[in-house]
Amino acid sequence: MTKHAKSITRRSFLNSSAAVAGAGALGLGTASPAFAQEFPSRDFSVVIPTGEGGGVDRAARAFTRVWSDIIGANFEFGYYPGASGQVGYELYLNRRDADVYNLLFGNIAPEMIMYATQNPDFQYPEDFLYLAGIDVDDSVIWVAQNSKFETIQDLIEEGQSRTITLSTSRLPHPSTIGALLLAEETGMDVRMIPYGGGSAARSAAVTGEVDGCATFMSSSLSLSDQIRFLGVFTGRNRVPGMTNEAPPLNEALGLDMPALQGQRTWALQRAAYEEYPERVDTLLTTLQEVFDAPEYKDAVKQAGTPWEFIEYTDAEACQESAQTIIDLARRYQDVLSG
Amino acid sequence: MEITLPFLGDLVATAFSYWWLILIATTIGITIGAIPGFGAQNTIIMLLPFTLAVEIDMALTFMVALYVASHMGSGIPAVLLNIPGTGGAAATTIDGYPMAKKGKAQQALVLTFVASTVGGTITATLALFLLPYLSRVAYYLHSVEMVVIMLFGIILIALIAAKDTLKGLIAGFFGLLIGAIGTDHIYSTPRGTFGFLELYDGMPLIPALIGLFAISEALVMLEKTSVLSEGGRARMLNSGWSESLEGIRMALARWWHIVWTSIIGLVIGAVPGAGASIAAFVAYQQSRLFSKTPEAYGTGHPEAVMAPEAANNGVGSGSLIPLLVIGVPGGSTAAVMLVVLTYHGVQLGPQLFTTRPELAYGVFATMLVSYLLMLFTILPLTRYLSRIVLISTTVLAPVIVVFTLVGAFAPRAYVFDMGLALVMGIIGFVARKTGYHVVAILIGIILGPILEANFMRAMRISGNDATVFFSSPVAIGLWAMLAFSLVAPFIMSRLRRGNGQDEEGRQA
Repeated sequence: MTKHAKSITRRSFLNSSAAVAGAGALGLGTASPAFAQEFPSRDFSVVIPTGEGGGVDRAARAFTRVWSDIIGANFEFGYYPGASGQVGYELYLNRRDADVYNLLFGNIAPEMIMYATQNPDFQYPEDFLYLAGIDVDDSVIWVAQNSKFETIQDLIEEGQSRTITLSTSRLPHPSTIGALLLAEETGMDVRMIPYGGGSAARSAAVTGEVDGCATFMSSSLSLSDQIRFLGVFTGRNRVPGMTNEAPPLNEALGLDMPALQGQRTWALQRAAYEEYPERVDTLLTTLQEVFDAPEYKDAVKQAGTPWEFIEYTDAEACQESAQTIIDLARRYQDVLSG
Repeated sequence: MEITLPFLGDLVATAFSYWWLILIATTIGITIGAIPGFGAQNTIIMLLPFTLAVEIDMALTFMVALYVASHMGSGIPAVLLNIPGTGGAAATTIDGYPMAKKGKAQQALVLTFVASTVGGTITATLALFLLPYLSRVAYYLHSVEMVVIMLFGIILIALIAAKDTLKGLIAGFFGLLIGAIGTDHIYSTPRGTFGFLELYDGMPLIPALIGLFAISEALVMLEKTSVLSEGGRARMLNSGWSESLEGIRMALARWWHIVWTSIIGLVIGAVPGAGASIAAFVAYQQSRLFSKTPEAYGTGHPEAVMAPEAANNGVGSGSLIPLLVIGVPGGSTAAVMLVVLTYHGVQLGPQLFTTRPELAYGVFATMLVSYLLMLFTILPLTRYLSRIVLISTTVLAPVIVVFTLVGAFAPRAYVFDMGLALVMGIIGFVARKTGYHVVAILIGIILGPILEANFMRAMRISGNDATVFFSSPVAIGLWAMLAFSLVAPFIMSRLRRGNGQDEEGRQA
């Protein structure tokens, strides 16, 4: 893997890269129509840094079901979980050709926390860039339906006299940072319990092994008759009707915490960006067309995700999200990485 | 919803109407179950275009039939070649292969099929009627209790080590050490990975299993021209259908043994995250504990072949319970099923049993029909399948190496895993030649990481208070049973010696 000179600051690179991506999105690239028609000439290979069957997998499948028709090529998935996403990212950046046929589909927040806390063998944004986000998934806190905690205030009150245990899929997760911020702001004592996967974390909270669960909202919606949402770590609750009208935590508690959410996002090696701007242009143009396709709405519904979560995020906004979460993760590095 | 006989009849009739699909799915399932590396999970992923395209009833029938058949198929190479198709059949090798070497491969295969079928049928029926209670298992078996359950499996190392305690324990601890490779369960800090990215997610089970069992067995095979002993070869050449009938008779005569070991699988399977490997090892250990002839275990004992097979098929029913009742997949195959069910708009959880009862209970009806059809299709094949052991090792060994190396590559598509399988093969070969038990190593590799994860979790929840392991009545009960399991063999052996002396005294 190429490591770039440290003289390039992350902020300056981030801005220039976002500009490249933005230009591509606007069709200002130098691609000739003939060249663009040659791409794609074969299937895409997608590295997913988490296991099959999870939220990222489902979102990727729903998206590519429509995208493959628009772009005219299929997408083949490879799952490389491990070390909170580090395995998938390192594999993608070190062992996949930078030819735009190899893509990565991940989740910005958890994976940037991994980047900030685990010292992986790659540099962001020097080695890769996030191309476009396809959805947002807000962090939430919930408890089992039979829990004695009716509101977030109940949980905080109890947390001021004893330690509250919250399950999470892994420590490098925006929900973990959310819970830690909440504890800091309210004086409650929280201990995060990582279960190595979202399913196990949710199961632990439903079956009462821990007091509650801090996770993404979308994966918890299917449990709605077994759990009670206590609050959302963003400015608004996108689906109040599906989450027992759980309030935004800032609003309920008068706090000013940053929005903590996941963004499922396509990413690309930086070398691919620079080498094949025409291909990147084709990718971005066709990718945006997916959001307007009526079939995508059906695919999203079939994946079990409410349409309210679907939101296109451009490259620049993705890089900003990434930088924000990196800064937050570094603040809590001791807790997140032991 | 209450289960009535007419409703049950409808479910079974509906499942039967898909008999042709079940036949296809079970054939695929048995085949992929028998090839290490090609599990149900990978196959369902590969066949997603089919399951997403057809009606939900058909998709679910196909997936469930394939899933249960893969459990059944994994015992075939375990018996014939000492190579478990999946981790769940590893315990089957301990007695299945010695039976095959004695020329009783046909009998051993029949034992595994009957135990799998009867065990699977009983647990699917129990799941149908006791679903509300079984779904509560996950509410009582948390990290603390799982630590104790893992220890039941771990003490099998000591039992295997009975003939040479030191070597057995060294092998077991070596396995635990290998199992500790990978990032830690709390902070994802890499340990013992030697910088290999491929080891960050822990020691991959399939390459380890293929190396320790398949590659090392192939190397051992080459020292002789046949896997059979001389007497075994003569027996195999003369064996006819009577061997299969004898196998059925032996299995049915031990029906109660199948029942209770399959229930172990059902209960362990109902805990999210627990799996067939754990259930099979625990069932083997418990079977030996309550056996009247524990000394025969490891030499080709019928009950020892049946116990793990009944248990790992019992897991099939159990592991789908968390998915259906809580809406949380209990294992990796269930996670892929969740993708398909969600795609078809099925809302899982308690409401499924009121909104789509035919779908929720239909899963277990499909299991029942699958087992029934499999029994009638696979039993007649035992005579021909068992002939594999007659093939010369000069042909068998290279075929095993090639097939299993592809199997090592298949789950993760890492060339590294093929190399890893070869390294583990050399380790397994050296272990076999020097009297160390490869099953003890594998128990450490499989159970070690799960034990550690549950231990660390329990400690973290309690704030590093070790008394947490005695904090629930269920945990205390399990500890008592574990203590009994450790002490009972000594008491029973003493009692038997005493009875023997009395007998001798009377005869004198």
